Amino acid sequence: MTDRIKALFDAYAAGRVSRRDLMRGAAHLGVTAATANVLLGSSLVEAMAADYDWQAQKGTAIKLLLNKHPYADAMIADIENFKKLTGIDVSYDVFPEDVYFDKVTAALSSKSDQYDAFMTGAYMTWTYGPAGWVVDLNEYIKDPKKTNPSFAWDDVLPGLRASTAWNGVPGGELGSADAKQWCIPWGYELNNLAYNRTMFDKAKVSVPKNLGELKETAAKLTKDLGGPYGIGVRGSRSWATIHPGFLSGYANFGEKDLTVNGGKLKAAMNSTGSKAFHQQWVDMIRESGPKNWSTYTWYQVGADLGAGASAMIFDADILGYFENGGDNKEKGNLGYAPFAANPAAKAPTPNVWIWSLAMSSFSKKKDAAWKFMQWATSLEHDLFGARKMDFVNPVRASVWKDSEFRDRIAKSYPGYLEQHDVSAPGAKIYFTAQPLFFDVTTQWAETLQKMVAKEVQVSEGLDQLAASIDKQLREAGLG
Amino acid sequence: MTSQPIDEPIRVVDRRPVEWLPYLLSLPALLVCIGILIPFVTALYYSALRFRLNLPALKGFIWFGNYINLLYDAEFWNTVSISLRYTALTVGVELVFGLIIALLLQRQTRLNNLISVLLLLPLMTAPAIASLMWKLMTNPNFGILSYLVSLAGVSDFGWASSPSTALFTVVLVDVWVYTPFMMVLLLAGLRSLPQQPFEAAALDGVPRLFVFFRITLPMLSPYIITASLFRLLDAIQQFDIVYAMTQGGPGNTLLVFQVRAYLEFYQYTNVGKSAALLVVLWMITYVLSHFFIKNWLRLRERSHASA
Amino acid sequence: MERSSIIERVLRAVLLTLIVIFFLFPIVWILLMSFQTNEQILRIPPSLSFVPTLENYKALISGHLLTSAGSLDIAFMRNLGNSVLLSTCAVVLALILGVPAAYAFARFKFWLSEDIAFTLLSFRFAPPLLVLLPLSLYFQDLGLVDTYVGLIWVYQLIALPLILWIVRGYFEDISPDIENAYRIAGHSWLRTFFKIAVPLAGPGIAAAGLLSFIFCWNNFVFALVLASADKQPVTVGALAFVTASGIQYGQVAAAIVLSVTPTLLLALYAQRWLVEGLSLGAVKG
Repeated sequence: MTDRIKALFDAYAAGRVSRRDLMRGAAHLGVTAATANVLLGSSLVEAMAADYDWQAQKGTAIKLLLNKHPYADAMIADIENFKKLTGIDVSYDVFPEDVYFDKVTAALSSKSDQYDAFMTGAYMTWTYGPAGWVVDLNEYIKDPKKTNPSFAWDDVLPGLRASTAWNGVPGGELGSADAKQWCIPWGYELNNLAYNRTMFDKAKVSVPKNLGELKETAAKLTKDLGGPYGIGVRGSRSWATIHPGFLSGYANFGEKDLTVNGGKLKAAMNSTGSKAFHQQWVDMIRESGPKNWSTYTWYQVGADLGAGASAMIFDADILGYFENGGDNKEKGNLGYAPFAANPAAKAPTPNVWIWSLAMSSFSKKKDAAWKFMQWATSLEHDLFGARKMDFVNPVRASVWKDSEFRDRIAKSYPGYLEQHDVSAPGAKIYFTAQPLFFDVTTQWAETLQKMVAKEVQVSEGLDQLAASIDKQLREAGLG
Repeated sequence: MTSQPIDEPIRVVDRRPVEWLPYLLSLPALLVCIGILIPFVTALYYSALRFRLNLPALKGFIWFGNYINLLYDAEFWNTVSISLRYTALTVGVELVFGLIIALLLQRQTRLNNLISVLLLLPLMTAPAIASLMWKLMTNPNFGILSYLVSLAGVSDFGWASSPSTALFTVVLVDVWVYTPFMMVLLLAGLRSLPQQPFEAAALDGVPRLFVFFRITLPMLSPYIITASLFRLLDAIQQFDIVYAMTQGGPGNTLLVFQVRAYLEFYQYTNVGKSAALLVVLWMITYVLSHFFIKNWLRLRERSHASA
Repeated sequence: MERSSIIERVLRAVLLTLIVIFFLFPIVWILLMSFQTNEQILRIPPSLSFVPTLENYKALISGHLLTSAGSLDIAFMRNLGNSVLLSTCAVVLALILGVPAAYAFARFKFWLSEDIAFTLLSFRFAPPLLVLLPLSLYFQDLGLVDTYVGLIWVYQLIALPLILWIVRGYFEDISPDIENAYRIAGHSWLRTFFKIAVPLAGPGIAAAGLLSFIFCWNNFVFALVLASADKQPVTVGALAFVTASGIQYGQVAAAIVLSVTPTLLLALYAQRWLVEGLSLGAVKG
């Protein structure tokens, strides 16, 4: 019995896959109905007699804090199975993204025990971890008594496991040997190009291969299409403006946000290479970016692509994915391509955003919360989400090998799998892990805004930014 | 009752209440407020600490370090400048509008009374909700105001989303909500003015403009000062409208005191800096409120004297 | 009073019309929007001809919204209920605490009385975040997180100063002679307070109570910082709802209408008291 077949049946036994899905899945894997029933039986018995007691916290109730997101939707759609499996009751509060992280900080800074587990990104754990608000999950993952033997932690893509682990030392390398696992990757996005194929054909341009080409192509699209603008990128005064396309391109030139020298941090945005990159980026936005660029969050970037107001975006791949479905005007017209900004680079270096699950230190039901986290990040749930719901991108290597998932994506999202497969090896967090992350990136975004608004020259602006960040690092005892 | 000697009960009932009575009466209110004073004192203490929630190891007493850092922080001065501009604009516009409306409605006709009641409605709308209303009306896709502006030939007026018009937009919402407050106070003031000087001026045929500047305004000035100080105190602390409209953006365009302090606390978990910002704001408002209360008490005494 | 020229009367009428339009148009427009479907709202140019729909209100009241990102369960009606509960309790508590204190400040000059009164009033003018942010750090330790009691307590910061100062003014206006006469007649102090002083200051107490109710209802920042999801009032709930529902503008408008209706009705019903309360008793002569 291959692992995959076994996992499928185990999932059914655990109540995570419906009988019809099981049969379909089994047929897909080449298992006949007769053997399927046999396998199922054994699997059920195995699950009940398994080394892992899902029902150990039966009767407890946990509460989750969730961001309004397709990942959360997929999980909620499947939650009854978790309740059946464990006998744990689950309730949750869902908040929209622009207030979500304030709510998390509010709950954690007040040491509230209301929420047991919550959604987070890796950057946020650089605050939550040192503040003592989240649990080092290695205590659970590495404890066979607490963790299901078939949890298969190693199946989670290595870049993601490393990116969510940090030793808490400012500037410390992510995923180092002494790192603490602050959260469990749940779904992730990397940053590449998503473009409108119809518009590209109309303007007779091909997919750009580097930053210079990107700038030219965007300008030509803006000029020739007469209406839509060439390139959508984010621009609001927020860390979120820095982390997608911008940092992915920046890192491709080998540029850094900060340098670490003998435990001291120093701003590195005012290097010559960085200034050249910024100049091109700023010019590109001025020539062919959206008019209200300085207010653009992922929401506007995506909406414009879907509504045909922009021809291309350099942003999260899953943003382009979602805009190709639903009732979007440009549904079905979108294509995807990997993008290495540096002509000399061999492969893209996308910075990643990882929606993860973390456990509150103030939770009084940590074992039950861990049950939930294991279930929600399990292979079975990941597979269910990837096949049935829009749970992209999955974080497990084995899901990326699942043919049902691959077929579904290949059919409706041309180039999506390729852009992912080409860039996945270089996909990780390219920021320096340190507690002043939000201070640094917010100011960085603000400086970008000033440059685009021509309030400051690129070179001068970056020198000021670096000086200001160095000062703050010193004040915080980090520089 | 009448059969008793008249001075008897006076001696029996002590007319002066017992000494502890006023304390007993005000104690519960005080206790509740003292509970609220404790976080205030902790805020003062935090403002003297290097205190970031995500750098617990660094927590330490630095006296006025946070305040000194603020003085050298261009962003702080940006906040001061925006808060002052916001305050000056809103209070100025509201005062002029409020005065004009009060003058128009001065005569007690049925129509005027109806209008003054209707004008109360914006004031009774929660400022945060009022911001949402204006957000809908200025939406670039379907907002009625965006449409009207486009009819006037301005195709992409940015409202709250463009740095050049964001301040205008939030001031507009503030004016919409709070002008009626000015109107109410000034109207009450106007209607309570003694009539003789006006009648005398009318008999002498003094020009109306002269009457307004030489009689109405001076007599109304205590009301104007009270109303303006009251709005000043609120406007410099503005949070709801700015937060609901733009959360302080675009860029740092609208980072007024309380919005910045809020973001420092929640986004950067910099408790010390956030507290220092708020203490600076508190000192400003404390001085202003002293003036206000003094003025207000004088006004009360005056209206009592005239009653 | 005085004769005015035709030009002046026309000018006056035009100005008043513009003023009324400026202040009432937003309310009317949002009200109209709340009865339109999304398609009707998105028409360009905007049009006044539409068949009113109640769908927006139905969706809000049932708590089940269909949005572009799938269906969404929202607790908007619960937020509305929270607003009613929080504002009512806060005002009742503030009246119980504030009216006797206001009486004490009006009738007696006692040690530190003016300083205490000033301190209480200055609460009204202190930046609320100065208190709220530090408080949020140990709200849990006080056992107040996720409770109504905690919010009602901090709402005293809004309601209590208002009640103290408005009601104090009213008590000061009542001559103490009436109370003294009643006491001479052999009644206890407590009885005098309830039978004479409170009824005489009734209009002031009503004005102060109404006004503090409206201010509590309209408050945003207290609940933004301290309220948990279950306990948040409509001001905070509406903001979260706007971003969550994405582009369901009709429902957003309906939510706005529902959240302002109680205060607007109250304002229309009790406008005379409100005007007195707003001028803080300063201008009645």
